[in-house]
Amino acid sequence: MRKAFILVLVLLSSACGRQETKLHDTQLLVMGTLVNVSIWDGDDDVAAVATAGVEQRLREMHRDLHAWQPGPLTRVNEALAAGKSAPVSEEAAMLIRRGSELSRQSGGLFNPAIGDLIALWGFHNDDGPHGPPPDAASVRALLAKAPAMSDLHIEDGSLRSENPAVQLDFGGFAKGYAVDEAVRILREHHLNNAIVNAGGDLRAVGRHGDRPWRIGIRDPRGPGVIASVEVEGDESVFTSGDYERYFEYEGKRYHHIIDPRSGFPAVGSSSVTTISKEAIVADASATALFVAGPDAWVRTAKAMGIDQAMLIDDKGKVYMTPAMAKRIHFEVDPPPPIEVVAP
Amino acid sequence: MTASAIPYRSIAGALRPTPGDIAVALLTVVLLVGLYLHFWSGVGGEGERARIVSADNGVQIVPLNEDRTLTLHGPLGDSVIEIHDGRIRFIESPCQGKQCIHAGWLHSAGSFAACLPNRISITVLGRNRHFDSINY
Repeated sequence: MRKAFILVLVLLSSACGRQETKLHDTQLLVMGTLVNVSIWDGDDDVAAVATAGVEQRLREMHRDLHAWQPGPLTRVNEALAAGKSAPVSEEAAMLIRRGSELSRQSGGLFNPAIGDLIALWGFHNDDGPHGPPPDAASVRALLAKAPAMSDLHIEDGSLRSENPAVQLDFGGFAKGYAVDEAVRILREHHLNNAIVNAGGDLRAVGRHGDRPWRIGIRDPRGPGVIASVEVEGDESVFTSGDYERYFEYEGKRYHHIIDPRSGFPAVGSSSVTTISKEAIVADASATALFVAGPDAWVRTAKAMGIDQAMLIDDKGKVYMTPAMAKRIHFEVDPPPPIEVVAP
Repeated sequence: MTASAIPYRSIAGALRPTPGDIAVALLTVVLLVGLYLHFWSGVGGEGERARIVSADNGVQIVPLNEDRTLTLHGPLGDSVIEIHDGRIRFIESPCQGKQCIHAGWLHSAGSFAACLPNRISITVLGRNRHFDSINY
């Protein structure tokens, strides 16, 4: 009897002595969104200092790259609209070059030069637009001016445009750049096992202890998770969805991913998830593939060097590249209809 | 009865479990199953909590086994969050799209809803988080 009691006590003590968590999880409200910094196995003080550094850096970027709150980028846009050249910081120049390259690879489906069009739809607003949608004639008038990143030229820190209709809006890849910067700062502090998730888009480095990081991908037509993927080493997982920002007017939904060809919200996709090393590339390619839609996404992925992509169309059918199909796990039962398409 | 048989019978008697031993063994099994469910499996709904992050109120962790309604202030006004029967949801929010309300009830670990315009988010925490991060 006494031995049995000792056995119970030993079992209880081993159950209670579970390992304490080694996860430093911090939520930041920056860049108009929720940014989650998760650090595994770092020193408490180092993690706190690094996370504060990330917060400060993201606040600077929010100020410098905002498309409608008055600041450096709105001043550049004012100058371009007036047909003048504008001084740009090294960082802005780098982003313009990267944005131009990504836009060229995407065949113009990713186009950070259509700030006027985004504004016309009312998405230059913290609370999103309230409708009604713009009239077709206004949209056509902006499209006719054909603003493109290839209109821009940078010489000696000065930006000029051949086309006064170019208005820069970094919304399609600024978040990716911000996540890349956050990860760079964590690594400077030798924090090599971490996830930075900015408003649902993330870059994960290292591992969660003895296992990879587990990422859930949201179901575009429900509140839960449709699929999951394990990530380790250094990868970014970005999703563009029609549920992120939208307004409804007279029973019709208008989302924020504007097709630069039509000037209207892109049709055919409900979400696109891409995986690549750099977050800036994952971000821009998710937008471009969403715009490309179910018929052309594979071609666009190939042109942008993306081999891991998943598109869920507006009827719930899932299309994936073989490399994505190999690693993704569906969390819904029954799984959705799936088609694997080789690039 | 031989002299040598007495100790043998005594040992056999000592090894035979008493009702007390059986009770303790059963208690052990019940405790182990309970501890497993409580700490590892994440199915113990009562053990679940949610993390609410808001710009004005900071971070708070709330248990999901206590029914209540919370009102949180954000840049646009008040958002109301309901906790009932191990679940949590937005029931009122001053935002335009009402995506946070459309998200409905959240109960499984890792599920979340956010009212980005009003800068408030809810994430359900499990004892064993199924996902480290959610992509959306």
